[in-house]
Amino acid sequence: MSSSSSSSKGGNGGGFNFDHHLRNQWITACLQGNADASTTDPVPNYARHARKTGTTIAGVQYVGGVVLGADTRATEDTVVADKNCEKIHYLASNMYCCGAGTAADTEATTRLIASQLELHRQAVGRARVPVVAAVNMLKRHLFRYQGYVSAALVLGGVDEWHGPSLYTIYPHGSVDQLPYVSMGSGSLAAMAVFEAGWREQLSEADARQLVYEAITAGIENDLGSGSNVDLCVIKDGGRTVEYLRGYAQEQVRTYRKPDGYAFPKGTTAVLAEDFRKYVQVRKVVSDL
Amino acid sequence: MDALAPHHDPTVPVQLGTTIMAVSYAGGVVMAADSRTSTGVYVANRVSNKITRVAPHIYCCRSGSAADTQAISDYVRRYVHELSLELNREVNVSVAASLFRELCYRNKDRLTAGIICAGWDAQHGGQVYTITLGGSKLQQPFSIGGSGSAYIYGFCDAAYRPDMTRAECIDFCVKAVSLAMSRDGSSGGVIRLVCVDRDGVERQLVAGDAVPRAWQG
Amino acid sequence: MDRPLSHSSFLPPLFSSAPHPLSPPHSVPHPSAAPSVNAAERPARWSPYQDNGGTVVALAGRDYAIVAADTRFSVSFSIPTREFTKITQLTDRVVLASAGMGADRQYLHKMLHTRLAMYRHQHQRDMSLPAAAQMLSNTLYSRRFFPIYAFNVLGGIDSATGEGFVYGYDAIGSHEQLKVVCSGSGQAIVQPVLDQQFSGRQRYSVPDAERAPSLTLEQATALVRDAFASATERDIHTGDALEMWQITAAGVRQTRYELRKD
Repeated sequence: MSSSSSSSKGGNGGGFNFDHHLRNQWITACLQGNADASTTDPVPNYARHARKTGTTIAGVQYVGGVVLGADTRATEDTVVADKNCEKIHYLASNMYCCGAGTAADTEATTRLIASQLELHRQAVGRARVPVVAAVNMLKRHLFRYQGYVSAALVLGGVDEWHGPSLYTIYPHGSVDQLPYVSMGSGSLAAMAVFEAGWREQLSEADARQLVYEAITAGIENDLGSGSNVDLCVIKDGGRTVEYLRGYAQEQVRTYRKPDGYAFPKGTTAVLAEDFRKYVQVRKVVSDL
Repeated sequence: MDALAPHHDPTVPVQLGTTIMAVSYAGGVVMAADSRTSTGVYVANRVSNKITRVAPHIYCCRSGSAADTQAISDYVRRYVHELSLELNREVNVSVAASLFRELCYRNKDRLTAGIICAGWDAQHGGQVYTITLGGSKLQQPFSIGGSGSAYIYGFCDAAYRPDMTRAECIDFCVKAVSLAMSRDGSSGGVIRLVCVDRDGVERQLVAGDAVPRAWQG
Repeated sequence: MDRPLSHSSFLPPLFSSAPHPLSPPHSVPHPSAAPSVNAAERPARWSPYQDNGGTVVALAGRDYAIVAADTRFSVSFSIPTREFTKITQLTDRVVLASAGMGADRQYLHKMLHTRLAMYRHQHQRDMSLPAAAQMLSNTLYSRRFFPIYAFNVLGGIDSATGEGFVYGYDAIGSHEQLKVVCSGSGQAIVQPVLDQQFSGRQRYSVPDAERAPSLTLEQATALVRDAFASATERDIHTGDALEMWQITAAGVRQTRYELRKD
């Protein structure tokens, strides 16, 4: 908008202000990857460079607790940005949360809610907070931001009121509660394993095996997912947590050149040499 | 982008491509809904519960955006509860429906929510209120909603009778929702039913293999 | 009870006033603000092209050439098959590898084999390496205004001297004779390593063509295997297996190595 149109309204003179409309449209176009080159100004297109966790995350409820699982690949477009990242985030001593979507959003959101949950726990003076409290905090936060905070979450926890519980929370703030769930770009592969292999009244060992198989399906069949399987088991009324980082590490480099890469002295051409004495060496007896 | 793209594209919201309905009869109301929640072409939840409790005797059927309708029903549940504490009695169904209307009307530019609010109260018995996308509140003897409702207007108009019993209402709902589920790709799964009358609330479920099958040509 | 009775006044807003700096404008747009058709709302147009990923490499020494490619065939985030060869043998001394779109690659390879057969029948001998290189260019350029979406690397040995050469191409036939070349989804990862390693050391004063390739066939094979293992670590469209064709005066030899499957 031209500056005259906004200045003519004279500060708080009332009326509509459209200054941000074009900018918002441009940002919206960038978010969709449709920015027109001819109108592009040098604002960095951070939305497209954001580190997405093209991800497989999943969880299963069993008689005594919940098992959460995640792969460990983080991607920036088609490049693997991190081969061993952590996608199972701490929320409270009896709750963990897997995150898919934009890595910054899942990390910031879970850290924020973890802080609020601990403050809430101290305010009510109990050992543990119910899992629904975390669900409500997360869904309200995500609904407030109307999907622009792209965090797709699988939340698992155990409390003395409801026992083991498992939820999915979508970026727009909707929630589902189910006995077995998956999220992220590999969720279809993981859900295929669940729909084929899930039974009622699973034992802990069977639940672990099922989640491991689901995440492995994502790792192998979804290009956004890869590397290792992380698991997290929450049980014993929320008093025991087993965080199994690197539970399975089956995807490894297949070859390494035996003699490595030697860069002999002189590999980098020396074009000019210039020595100067910048540092004065002085003996100090004591600084005190 | 391929067909899977909408699933992991966070800008695509979760939709309740839905069939919902509510029918009032002399002693109460019957509500019914399918159980499919989808993101694009992927079924995100095949056993979802779209009939949500607002007060002990007031329920709502949700259609449209899952996030929007969950947020709205959370709000209404909170205010109905607060109001019942202040009044020291259960609030009327009409009051809850008015709260839905208020939220939908005042925020209509940001919401995608089609809601049917129904329940029973001592003053007016069983009632059904439709809250439209634009925020109107309409009282009707019965109401259907969601994407699947387009397929069953004719059936419902033909089959509805004002003098039905509770059992007949349940039968009417199961027939109507099953017909919509078989034609609408966004509806499916099981049929969930909620019956509210003087004696309280009863939930019923028609499992996928028990859903009636009409002509399958 | 001093609470106002109107519901609308005691209801706090469902939405906070400014949810996020990136949220789209909810106010009525100013008539002069922007064109009515928003780029973000236009539906994506159908494209005749699809990128099925994959990396191809060709390099040449004094008495050999190597042509290598991975076997992954991907569409967006999924893998329809892990066993899809990108390499075809054109003559006893010439091998071609193509990255890009699978369908266009199959079409191109079929066209080339047809034209090679016609050449054989007409001239009673196989096409030479430079002739095959030029024919590939001509085939690509014949589709100048509806290009074949394939990124080719051609490798072989000179029938007279036995020296190895490779050729790199763009999609419409521009080509260049080289000693090492790489194309496809892992190009940005692999090419700089090959440039540095294959030239032995960074002697900027020596022109590329005169830099005698000092690697033996065994060393070059190890280098290519390592390059593909590295590309598989960081490029999601490269992986599953590596197919390598070694071309020497003794003939062509095909080898297969496993790569990561994730």
